Amino acid sequence: MNFVARFMRSPEGVIGAVVLIGLVLVALAAPLLFPRDPLAIVGQPMLEPFADWALPLGTDRLGRNVLAELVHGARASLLVGIAAALAAMAIGASVGTIAGFAGGFVDEALMRVVDAFQTVPGFLLALAFVSVIGASMPIVVLAIALGAWTGPARLARAEVLSIRERDYVDWARVIGMHPLEIAFREILPNALPPVLALSAVIVAGAILTEAALSFLGLGDPNIVTWGSMIAEGRAVLRSAPFLSIVPGIALVVTVLGVYLFGEGLAEALSRRRVRS
Amino acid sequence: MSKFLISRRTLLGASAALLASTALPRSAFAQEAKKGGRLIVAADSEPRNLNPAIVASNGVFFIASKVIEPLAEASFDGENGLAPRLATKWEGSEDGLSATFTLREGVTWHDGKPFTSDDVAFSALNVWKPLQNLGRLVFANLESVDTPDPLTAIFRFSKPTPFQLIRNALPATTSVLPKHLYDGTDIAENPANAQLVGTGPFKFAEYKPGEYYLLKRNEAYWGEGEPNLDEILYRVLPDRAAAASALEAEEIHLAAFSAVPLADLKRIGAEDGIEVISKGYEGLTYQLVVEINHRTEQLANLKVRQAIAHAIDKKFVVDTIFLGYATASTGIVPQNAPEFYDAETEQYDFDVAKANALLDEAGYTRGADGNRFTLRLLPAPYFNETRQFGDYLRQALAEVGIDAQIANNDSAAHQKAVYTDHAFDLAVAPPVFRGDPAISTTILVRTATAEGVPFSNQGGYSNPALDTLIDDALVAVDEEERTALYNEVQELVAKDLPLINVAEWGFITVARTSVHNVSNNPRWAVSNWADTWIDG
Repeated sequence: MNFVARFMRSPEGVIGAVVLIGLVLVALAAPLLFPRDPLAIVGQPMLEPFADWALPLGTDRLGRNVLAELVHGARASLLVGIAAALAAMAIGASVGTIAGFAGGFVDEALMRVVDAFQTVPGFLLALAFVSVIGASMPIVVLAIALGAWTGPARLARAEVLSIRERDYVDWARVIGMHPLEIAFREILPNALPPVLALSAVIVAGAILTEAALSFLGLGDPNIVTWGSMIAEGRAVLRSAPFLSIVPGIALVVTVLGVYLFGEGLAEALSRRRVRS
Repeated sequence: MSKFLISRRTLLGASAALLASTALPRSAFAQEAKKGGRLIVAADSEPRNLNPAIVASNGVFFIASKVIEPLAEASFDGENGLAPRLATKWEGSEDGLSATFTLREGVTWHDGKPFTSDDVAFSALNVWKPLQNLGRLVFANLESVDTPDPLTAIFRFSKPTPFQLIRNALPATTSVLPKHLYDGTDIAENPANAQLVGTGPFKFAEYKPGEYYLLKRNEAYWGEGEPNLDEILYRVLPDRAAAASALEAEEIHLAAFSAVPLADLKRIGAEDGIEVISKGYEGLTYQLVVEINHRTEQLANLKVRQAIAHAIDKKFVVDTIFLGYATASTGIVPQNAPEFYDAETEQYDFDVAKANALLDEAGYTRGADGNRFTLRLLPAPYFNETRQFGDYLRQALAEVGIDAQIANNDSAAHQKAVYTDHAFDLAVAPPVFRGDPAISTTILVRTATAEGVPFSNQGGYSNPALDTLIDDALVAVDEEERTALYNEVQELVAKDLPLINVAEWGFITVARTSVHNVSNNPRWAVSNWADTWIDG
C-alpha cells in the first residue's frame, strides 16, 4: 500500500488536506480574484458584511475591502508559515544530523546551543529579533524559524543516533565515503520522516506567531496579514466586531486544517514504520 | 380634595411673580458645588519626572498642574485669554526689555513656607530658561529677575522679547517651584520632582507604580472655598479599550485626552450618565502634519510637494480617520488661534488629476508598473490616528503613482529615524500649537540650528526669506507688526510647502454626568481642577 493510500485512510488527514488545498488555491488565485492592492480604499468605511454584494464581507475603518484583505492575507499567512517551517526544519535537521553523527564534543556543544534556544520562549525571541532588526517578510520568517528549529534538531539527532549504528553506515565508511556525505546522503534521508511529521505543528505555530507579531504592530505594514486585520479591528471591537471575527475565523480554520493534516501525516508515517 | 387642589392652584398662580423672581437663584442653588468626594480619572501614561517646570508636556501637566501652579492659566473669557493664578497682574514694557508681574498675596507652599517673588526668580532663571523644553525658547534672552519686594518680580531681557509671546506662554511655561527645596541641589535629580511640592489646590499624596497617583485636598489653598474635591485618584489604565469599559462600569468618572477611542464615542455617548465633551482643549491644538525630507531628490522639487498636497483628501481624513472630531487645516497656524490665523494662504484642493499632471510636469513619468518612484513613509506611532493616516497616505499616493513603503517603529526608533538619522522621505507627525507660533511651531520650518532635536525641522529645508521673517517676529515688540510677520510666514509656508498641514484636532473628554465644571477653560485637562466637583 503506498503512502497516499495510507494517508487517505485517516479521516482527519483528509479533512485537513481538503482545507489546506482550498486555502492554497485561494492564496494562489488572490491576484486574479482581487488584482488591486488589497489595502486600496474602495468604498464607504465600516460597511457591514452582506450589505453590498460588491463588498460581501464589508469594509474596514478606512473603507478597504475585507474579503480582498482576507484572501491576500491567506497568501501572507501561508507563505510565512510554510517558509518559516521550511527554514526551521532545514536548520534543525542539519544541526541535529551533525550533532548526532559526529557525537562527542561537537554533539555536546550543539546540543547546549539547542538548550539555550529552548530556554527562551520562541515568541519572545521573535519579538526581540523583529523589533531590533525591523519588520519585513524575510526577517519575520527568520525570526519565527529562530524559535522553532530546536524541535526538529532534537528529533533529527535522536533518529541519527539510532541510524548511525546500522550496518549500511559501516559499509559506507568502509568504501571510503566522506563523513559529511554519509551524514547528509545516507543518514539524513532516513531520519527525515519523523521530522517531517513535526512540520505541521511548526507551520501552525508559525502562522500563529506571525499573526501575533502583526497584531502587536511588528509585521510588515505594507502587506495585509490576518494578525494586522485583527489588530486594526480591535480599536472598533465594540461597534464593528466582524472586523476582528472574520480574520479570526480564517486563522482558526487554517491552523485547524494544518493540525489535522499533520495528524494524518503522522499516522500514515507510523503505519509505514509498523509495517517495516 | 378638589377644593384643596384649586386652592393650591390659586396659591401657585398668586405667587407666580414671586416664583419667577426666585427661579434663577433657585436653579443656581441646585447647581451649587458639593464639597468633598473622590474623583477617579484614567491616566494612560506614567511620566517618570513629574516636574512641570522642567518637562512642560501634557502627560506631566495632567497630574502635576493640580499641585504646582503657573503664573496664569488660559481662560475662555479672561483678558487676552488668561485668568490669574500665582500672578494677579502682568505688564510688558514698551521696549520689550522687561516684564513686571504682581504676585498673589497670602499664598503658601504645601509645606507651610510662604510663596514669594524669590521663588519666581529662582524658577525663571534656574529652571525655565536652562532646563525646560519650551522655556529654553521663550526665555532665551532672559537676563535677570529683579525682586524689589516679595510680591513683585521684574523680568529683564537682553534683547526685545514680545510681551505677547510671554503672555501666550504663561500657562504652559511658568510653573513655579519652591526655591527652598531646590536651591543648591541638582534640580533635575531633586526628589521633589517625584514627590511634588507646590501651591496648588491639591497636595501630592502617593504614587504606586502601575496602579495609581493620589492627590489630596490642600486645606490652605488661596482660592476661597476651593478646591471642592477631597481627592483625585489617577488610575493607570494604559489600554485604551479599558478606559471605556471602566467608565461604563463606573470604576472611573472621567477619561481625558481621548483615552476612549474615537470609534467608541458614538456608542458610549448614547449611554445614560456618560457625556462626550470636545471642549476644553482649545489651547492644546494638535496638528496632523506630513513632514518632508528635502534631501530626497524628488521631494526637493516644489511640483512634487504640491502634487502630494493635492493628492490628500482632507475631508476623508477628517470624516473617516477622525470621525468628524477634527478640522481640515489651511496652514501652519490652526484656525482656533484667531490672534495669528491667516485665512488668505494658498490652498491645495483634493485633485488627483492635477496631482498627476504636476508629477508629469516635474518629469517623473509612470513606469511600466504604474509607479513613478518609491518613498519611505514613517508614520509617528503616538496616536491611532497618525498611524491610520499613514495607511491612508500610502493609498492616496498610490493613486498618483507614488509607491510609499511604510515602516512602523516604536516612539524611540521613530524619533531617531526621523530627527537624528534623517532616514525617511515622508513622515507623519502630530506637533502641538501652543498658543503662539514662536513656542513650538516656527521650529518646524526654520532652518535647523542643531541636529537631532525632536519635533523640529530635521527635513533639511532651508529658506533664508522664511528664516528672516521668523527671526524678525521673535523680537517684534509691536503686536500688530508681529502678527503681520506671522501672516507672511503662513503665506510663505503654504506657497513653498516645507511641510504639509492636513488636519488639526483637540482631544475628547468622556465623563460621567456626575462630574461638574468639566472643560470650562481652554486647557482644562491640564489646569488645576479647583472648581471641579462631583455629585455625592
